[in-house]
Amino acid sequence: MSPPEEKDPLDVLLREQSAYVNDDGFTGRVIAKLPRRRRTWLQPVLLLGATAIGSTLALWWLPWESLPPLDASAVLSLNSQVLWPWMMVLLVAGSLVWAALAAIQWDD
Amino acid sequence: MTDGDLIARVLSREDQHAFAELVRRYQSPVRTFLARMARGDAHLADDLAQETFLKAWRKLHTYRGTARFSTWLFGIAYNKFRSVARQRKELALEDVDDAPVEAAQSATASRNELRLDLTEALKQLHSSERAAIVLCCQNGLSHEEASQVLDCPLGTVKTNVLRGKEKLKRRLIGYQDYEST
Repeated sequence: MSPPEEKDPLDVLLREQSAYVNDDGFTGRVIAKLPRRRRTWLQPVLLLGATAIGSTLALWWLPWESLPPLDASAVLSLNSQVLWPWMMVLLVAGSLVWAALAAIQWDD
Repeated sequence: MTDGDLIARVLSREDQHAFAELVRRYQSPVRTFLARMARGDAHLADDLAQETFLKAWRKLHTYRGTARFSTWLFGIAYNKFRSVARQRKELALEDVDDAPVEAAQSATASRNELRLDLTEALKQLHSSERAAIVLCCQNGLSHEEASQVLDCPLGTVKTNVLRGKEKLKRRLIGYQDYEST
């Protein structure tokens, strides 16, 4: 950690020049300007809550009974009547997972 | 209490007393560094230092502890300076001409005169050379730490320190006599 070329007289001069600066109220001014205590837990909790509610509603309202059966032949034939409803389900589920992960990893 | 303890208290409880202690510890080097970068403008330096500590408060959770806390703070301070320097011509990065510092006309300058002249000579350096010298030679940062602060390659820092010191020696008329004593 020692500075390079310690024996250089210029280094000695430079070192001597770095005098301590008195605080003179500087710290007080900084502390007075600090933002109010943030409720950092509030936003992720809200997001997590909204995700939980969204998941419940999705489970409740999605027309699970009327979803066409998803099998390999339907996927391979790219049957849109089968694929579209399942893609919508995946989209809703993906959004909910993403929101849950964002809430867990919240970092303002 | 170590810096790490204080940082942990700030992060866990947003303890303003702990943060105040950190500010007290580092206000002097940060303000001095910024005053040198601002070519002696103490008001600007204090404004930038205040912004530096306020940003440190907001971003403390991003401090990973891999570098010294002071190194991390100097990095914020230097970025603050750079963003202001982009808008203010008087802080432009350009070198002032290579004429020797006028105050040191005496061939045998005293130590005090040399110190005063050194302040002037530092102001005339290119800001990247000045930053490298102030960090490495006045604040005891290693070249590696300075390269982190200045966000530039290690070789560039070493070159800036060497080149800056050569310029300082050239500009300080009485330096040759001082060096030989």
